[in-house]
Formats: sequence, structure tokens, C-alpha cells
Amino acid sequence: MTAQEARLCGLLLREHFGEVVEKVGVHLLRSGTLNLRALAHETSTSLDLVKKCLCVLVQHGMSKFGPGRRGPAGPVEYQINCERVLYMLRYPRYIYMAKSLYGDTGELVVEEILQRGQMTMSSVVRTVADRLTQNMEDGQSMDYNEVINAFSNLVETHFLQRCPPVDSLGATVTTTSSSGTPESSANTTPQSAQPESHPDCYKLPQIHLSGRGKRRRSSGDAEANDRRAKRAKLENTEVCGDEGIYWQVNFERFHLHFRHQAIISAVASKLDQTSSEIVRTMLRMSEVTTPATAAYTQAVSANEIFRALPPSYNIARPILDQYLTLLVDDPMEFVGKTGDSGGGMYVVNLHRALANLARATLESVVQERFGSRSARIFRLLLRKKHLEQKQVEDFAMIPAKEAKDMLYTLLSENLVQLQEIPKTPDHAPSRTFYLYTVNQLPTARLLLQNCYKAVSNLIERRLFETKENKRHLEKSQRIEAILASLQASGAETAQLAEVEEMITAPERQQLEALRHHINKLDSSENQVDETIFLIESYINSAASSR
Amino acid sequence: MTDVKVKKESTDVVDIENRIKELCQQFPQGITDQVIQNDMPHVEAQQRAMAINRLLSVGQLDLLRNSNGLLYRLKDTQSASKMKGSDNQEKLVYQIIEDAGNKGIWSRDIRYKSNLPLTEINKILKNLESKKLIKAVKSVAASKKKVYMLYNLQPDRSVTGGAWYSDQDFESEFVEVLNQQCFKFLQSKAEAARDSKQSPMVQRNSSFATSYEVWKYICELGISKVDLSMEDIETILNTLIYDGKVEMTIIAAKEGTVGCVDGQMKLYRGVNSIIQPTGLVKTPCGLCPVFDDCHEGGEISPSTCIYMGEWLDF
Repeated sequence: MTAQEARLCGLLLREHFGEVVEKVGVHLLRSGTLNLRALAHETSTSLDLVKKCLCVLVQHGMSKFGPGRRGPAGPVEYQINCERVLYMLRYPRYIYMAKSLYGDTGELVVEEILQRGQMTMSSVVRTVADRLTQNMEDGQSMDYNEVINAFSNLVETHFLQRCPPVDSLGATVTTTSSSGTPESSANTTPQSAQPESHPDCYKLPQIHLSGRGKRRRSSGDAEANDRRAKRAKLENTEVCGDEGIYWQVNFERFHLHFRHQAIISAVASKLDQTSSEIVRTMLRMSEVTTPATAAYTQAVSANEIFRALPPSYNIARPILDQYLTLLVDDPMEFVGKTGDSGGGMYVVNLHRALANLARATLESVVQERFGSRSARIFRLLLRKKHLEQKQVEDFAMIPAKEAKDMLYTLLSENLVQLQEIPKTPDHAPSRTFYLYTVNQLPTARLLLQNCYKAVSNLIERRLFETKENKRHLEKSQRIEAILASLQASGAETAQLAEVEEMITAPERQQLEALRHHINKLDSSENQVDETIFLIESYINSAASSR
Repeated sequence: MTDVKVKKESTDVVDIENRIKELCQQFPQGITDQVIQNDMPHVEAQQRAMAINRLLSVGQLDLLRNSNGLLYRLKDTQSASKMKGSDNQEKLVYQIIEDAGNKGIWSRDIRYKSNLPLTEINKILKNLESKKLIKAVKSVAASKKKVYMLYNLQPDRSVTGGAWYSDQDFESEFVEVLNQQCFKFLQSKAEAARDSKQSPMVQRNSSFATSYEVWKYICELGISKVDLSMEDIETILNTLIYDGKVEMTIIAAKEGTVGCVDGQMKLYRGVNSIIQPTGLVKTPCGLCPVFDDCHEGGEISPSTCIYMGEWLDF
């Protein structure tokens, strides 16, 4: 974990859970492993608050606990999972993906679970149905069964999974709530890191839940509200048959999907739409059979691909063969051929594709930041590995003076490395080869850190902008509240207009500008996250293939 | 008696000299001492040495050194006649420059090889230049460095820099224009192929252009004042590869096909990049020149960043 990651984690924790959790979380990040008492003491926060913070973190799967270094008899120690905290940056993307795959219902299901960390199926279904009903026109409501359908679709495609077994979860509750007696959790089994190791991971429980989403009554109707609350209480105690089975979002599965999307869109822009559809089909076919860290997908034959292609594409068999040959011949090597049986066996080179995408990302950064001629030098070095300065000038056909300037700038930014090879042991410059080179993996790591810093900066700026305009924001909220209550009580239009004019024109303008700024910052955060995702996947794939 | 002997010796010497010259004509690449010895086993070593020395001193023979000892070679009469009226030092310098070939030689290197003082060498060089025996050429590698070579030689590419230099200046604009033109050619070809609505294989194959085709296109465009060779165009096409805009494949071709070199043909085609500009560079931070100095609470900080401010108001 680096300083930039810690900073970003802190900002994300503050955004989602508030400043106390940020304090505890960042301290835990910096110190690695700590027990409860040390944590409370070092952050000078009350024991109670620290417990609550840890509760939040454990609930969201961001924190782990286990027997301490002093063995099972010692106090329980806590750890925070930095990677998991950084996933919070990607929440909008998960939700968007669920929306584009499973519509509004899927979107809300994922959103609810992300917001609460883990939920039982029945409560998800109830909340989502209520929320959907809320947005529908009067007299319509959402059937629970539809939400159950969407939920089971998400589980079947492994986007949702069960939380690790209940006994360790039970331990979570006891340790966080009663850590004054650490002995009670002494026999805690460490939480299984892989939820997939659990056999029932994707098994849906039988739930007895039928009915429709309820609409919240207008606030004026106090009596009805009261009655509703009573009924809600009754409902909550109702047995649905899935108590204790909690669900969480399977981030790995989402990431696989993102990765496939990236590969498909790369093929689409390099070759054409049809090729990308073929690759999409290949990826879909091998989705279930290929492990997440594999370098290649499971080989599929051309016959199988032909059968699995969506009929709307209308690709004839000989044309498909031609497309596959083209894909294999392409220097990017997205697709490889492994054999001739069944009309040719084909795989998607996942790691190669990621490496290519990461390389393109690096090139694009150099291109945008230092200009296309520097990018030419950068690509040249990537291609030829080691080159002397003179060779760089000659190959890139850039005048010596400019080439030198660009090369040194790239070197000072650590995008290019310099290797000395002395002919004599004294390292005299006149008798030394100076070879320039680009190391893709370390450069990608550098870029990743830059991305973390950039996102932190954007969040920081966003917080600053909101803080600066706090007064305006509060005022506009207050006035909106007044307007709403006036409208409810049936006030005259003149009265409404009068209240509305309490916000002056310049203020309105400022608010408009603020909204524009925040949107821009938000969308940029998501864009940088796409870069982060690509580079992270590349680094992970490079680590696993070693 | 002595008189007779001397006379006999002198005729002998002339005979030996003539024989050596004959030998040299037989072996234009030069002969070793051993060859002369084998040819004239009866001649004493001293006599042989005298004869060779005489020939060397009158400038009819050249003494060369190679891996297996000394070599004698007949000096070509042409240069001998050119050098008429020059002294030994001049001849020496001329010889050094001649040996350097079309790569040329720097005056300091002449000094090392000849062991003559620099002032003397400068005088001789000026002299030779005025006789149009040698010429000075400015090297592109170092603009202040003059190299000397024989007057009638065409300077090597490493000295003049080939087609991309005029007066020792790299014509970067010329290169850029050619770069763009080549790309335009390949791109239009790729587009035509894409619009042809043929089978994908045919589409790909027709988007390729050989380096010969590109060369012909550029020549017909007439944008270049100098004659460009196919290698020149290939270097330009290579820069396009490094720009990530073009791909190259090498295919085997029958010897004698146009644009075929050593049984290979280089095919180029314009390609698209696999990604759009990445997300990071769409933010001001991705391009910020003071990115590393930026810290919250510092002189440069995200809250007070003017770049970010301008970008937000854009």
C-alpha cells in the first residue's frame, strides 16, 4: 500500500461513512494489524465508537479479523483490506453495469446491497420493490416476484454471492460487540478468504414472499403512517425462510465482465464490429469454464462458435472462418489458434490482450502529455527494447536536439529508463553505452499511483467546491423545503413565486455552476477509474503469470 | 673488377626492379616479401631490399600492412602523375585521405596518422584542395567537423545524412510532410478496402500497400526535390509504425517482382488505435506539469488549482 492509496482510501471512507470511520480506517491502514484496544488508544477515540466503526467496515467486507500474533489466546486483531476500500470508487460502474444488463430492478438490487454491504434476499426484495413502486405512477406497484426474478438472475450469473458461512459471521457479531472479553472469540476460525470455496455460494434459498411493493404515504397522513409503521414491524418479524443467509456483491465477477468489455471494445476499434461480436461470443461461451486468473480462455472450436453466434448477425460459415483467421493474424494477438480439430480451436489471449491494452494506455498518456513525437520515441523504445540515443534519433527521424530534449524529459518523468553498460570498469562516459529502454510493468505501476493521486485530487476538489458553496446549498435546500410544504398546504401561486425569489439570480447562477462543476468532477473520477481498472488488471495478470 | 661488379649489380638491380613490377601487375591486390623471394631465389636479401627501397622512394610501389605481414603493391600511375610536383609530406597526406575512402577523414586523425604538425597539415590540405585533388565535406554528425576525401568521390550517407539533410540541417518539416502523405495514402487505401463490401479476407488484403507502391505514389506527387530511394520511404513508413498508425507484414515474393528485396516484400497498412485517449488524460491532473508538487494544503493544491478551475469553468 502506498501513500497515494492510503490518501484515496481515507477520502473514500470519509465520503461513504464519515470522518470517524475515516480516522479509524486510515489508522488501521497505516499500522497494518491492530487489536481493538490499541486502535482505540492510538486514534484517541472512545472504545464504543471504534467498535461501531469496525462494525461498519466488517459489514462491508472491508475489514478482516482473526486471532492475533500472540496465538489464539491473545486479543483479536483487525486488518483492513485496502483493495476492497478502493472498490468504492467503482460503485457507480457496478451499478451502471447491473442496469445495462438487468434493467432498473437489477440496478436497484445491486445499489441496495452495495450500500448496506450485505443483506438477506428477502429484505433486498422488499426494499427494492418499495422503491420501484415509489417511482411508479399512482395505482401501480411492483410485484415481489419480478424483483425475485432479477435477483435470481444476478445470482445465477454469479454477480451476487452468499457471504462466507454463518458461524464466522456470528463470530463477527460477538467480537465486535463484546470485545471486552476477547476469550469469547478465541476459537474463531479465520474468515475464509474465498467465498467461492463455500459449496452453496450461488444457491438460492427458498423464500416465502409474495405481495407487492408499498407506497409510502404522504407525510400529512400521520395516522396512516403510524399504522404503516406497525405493519412494517409485523412484516419484519415475518419469517421468510432465508434468515441468516446474507448476500454480497461478487466484485470479481463484475471485474471479469469489465475486462471482457474492454477487450471487446478494443477489438471493435482495431478491427470491426463483426470481429468484436465473434470475440464477445467466444468470451461468453467460456465465461463459466475459464478461471478468473487464466491467461487464456478455454479453447472453443469454430463449429461451436458458429452455433453460438447470435442468429441476428447472419454470418456465414466461410466468412466466420475468414474472420477468425484475421483475428489470429492480427499483431495484437487477441485471439490465438491452438489446434485444428473441430474446424480449428480458438482461444482468447486474455493476458496478452490486457498487456496490449495497458501498453496502449501508457502510450496514450505519453501522447497526450508530451506530444505525438515523444509518443513516437516511447513506442519505438517499447518495440526495440534497448536503444542508444543516436539510434533513437535515426529511427524516429527527429532532429537530434529535439529528440534529446524529449528523451530526457521522459527520463526525468520515469517513463523511460536508462541502462549504462561500461566497456571498462571505470565507468568513463566515453567508454560506456547508454541504452534507453521502457519497462512496461514498472511504468504501469507508476501510472497507477498517478491515477490514485489524480482521483484523490478530484475528490478533494469536489469536497472543496461543496464546502465553498455550503451556504448557498443550505439556503436552496431550505427554500425547497418551504416550497414543498407550502405546496402541500395548497398555497397560492403568488406566494410560491415570492418564496422562490428568495434565491437571487446570481445565487442561482452560482448554484448552476456548482452543479456543472460537481458533475464534471464526478464523471472524471469515473473516467480515471477506468484507467485504474485496466492497469490494475494488467498488473494482476502479470503477477499471476509469473 | 670492382667497376664490373658495380655495373653488373646495377643491371641486376634494374632486372630485379622490373621483375618485381611484373609480379605486382600479376597480383594487383599486392604481393608479400615471400612471393618475391620464391620468384627470385638466387637474389640476395640485401639486393632485394635495395630494389624495393628504390621503387618505394620513387613512388612506384606502395607499402601496405595487412594481417599476415607487409604487402607491396604497384601504385596506380594516375595518382602518381597527379602528385607530380608534390613533396613527400603531401603524398603522405594524400595517401591517408585516399585510404579513408568516401567516409572522409578528420584533420586531427590525419595528424595522428602522419605525425606531422597541425599547421603543416593545414597548409598541405589547403594546397591539395586548391589543386582539386581533395575536398572538404561538412559532416552531419558534428556540424563543425570537416572531413576530407578525394575530390571525385561521392560522400557516404553517414556523412551527408542522406536525403533528409540539406546543408547539414535535418529537414524535419520535410520528414513530417512525407510522414503525413504516406499515412494519407495508406489510410485512403484502407478506407477504400473497407467500403468495398467484399469478404473480410479480401478487404484486409486490399488494404495493404507495398513499399514500392508508396514510393511510386510519393514520387508521382512530386513533393520531393531530391530523389528518394525505396529505403528512404521505408524509413518514413517505419516512423508511422512507431506512431502506432501503421502495421507492417513481410511476405515472401518471387524474385524479380516489383518492390521485392531479397525475396521479401514489405506490406504496410493503416490501422486504428485500440483505445480512445485513456480516462486519466481527460482530467487536468493527467496532463499537469506540476503534478508531483501538488499536495493538499501546499502551495500547489487541488483546492486552489488554477488549471482545475479553468477546466471546470470551460
